Amino acid sequence: MIDSILLVDDENLFHLVFEDACSLLDIALSLKTFNSADEAEIYFKKIVETKSKKPDCIFVDLNIIGSTFDGIELIRRINFVHGDGVVIGIISSSNDDMEQTKAMKAGAQFWIIKSDKIEPRLEEFKKDFDGYANRTLQFKVYK
Amino acid sequence: MIKFSDEVKDQLYKLAQQKNIYLEGNILKIIDAGDDKILQNYVKDARKKDDEMREKRLEITKKVQTQNDQLLEWKTKNEKTNEQLKEALDKAEKSEHKALKSKEEAEKSKEIALNDLDILQKRTQNQLIESIVKVSLWLISGVGVITTVMFAVTLFKGVENKIVESMWSNMFGILLTNSFSIIGTIMGVKYASSNGNYIKNKKCNCKCHD
Repeated sequence: MIDSILLVDDENLFHLVFEDACSLLDIALSLKTFNSADEAEIYFKKIVETKSKKPDCIFVDLNIIGSTFDGIELIRRINFVHGDGVVIGIISSSNDDMEQTKAMKAGAQFWIIKSDKIEPRLEEFKKDFDGYANRTLQFKVYK
Repeated sequence: MIKFSDEVKDQLYKLAQQKNIYLEGNILKIIDAGDDKILQNYVKDARKKDDEMREKRLEITKKVQTQNDQLLEWKTKNEKTNEQLKEALDKAEKSEHKALKSKEEAEKSKEIALNDLDILQKRTQNQLIESIVKVSLWLISGVGVITTVMFAVTLFKGVENKIVESMWSNMFGILLTNSFSIIGTIMGVKYASSNGNYIKNKKCNCKCHD
């Protein structure tokens, strides 16, 4: 089971869906959510400054309404500005190849497509998590 | 993992039995029940309850999410339809304006054409009258000249010709009378046509005929 997960998504309803799905599938023990990429970046900066424990995994939405930058830029900043070491990827309803390539270049390790039936994808991700944590798994899209 | 003292365990069991209140959430996943079968059952029951509640909530949340998405889709569609309707309305208004302009232009053209026709008719009428007057005048003067010449010949020759004399006087009288009657008729026709035009023009100028 993943110890802590951070979810960055502008849709509050999806926070609830994700929390319940994670709990039912025994994916994570603790879940922290943010509505905007800016809030998430501030939180991450604080973690780095105070040398607190980073979340084990970060799920970022592609288009975060109300943010000054998108999910791919947040991943790039977390990976290249604030230091990497966390499993990070996109969770979005989009299945755009170009965006997926951009996300991969920014350091995203996975891309989960949001839909009504997200549980099987999260279950598959749970199985792959260790591979992402020890950097042995390549970028993967969960359709 | 966390362990509970016997006192805490008793309180938890009592709460569950008496008030049906159980621990909820991820704390249940880190309880170390050890060999304590009662605590194991408690955690099992609590997790079952928690999972049931979460499943229900997940189902409802997903429904709401789907409905929200549908509402957003409908909203977008409605906005598009409204825009299309607005565009169609604008186009219809423009077409109506164009049609009104065309109608006005057609009415103006009709008026011009009618005026032209009227002028043409008048001109033809005038030409006809002119021809009639000319022919009549030539006839009158011709007959007058002929009878006068004949009468003059009889006078100069000293031949008494009663027929020519009476013919000249009669003819002259008739011609004179007829010429006046012809002139009178022409004047009458002219007056009548100009009066008719006056009435016609008066009608056209009247607002109720527009």
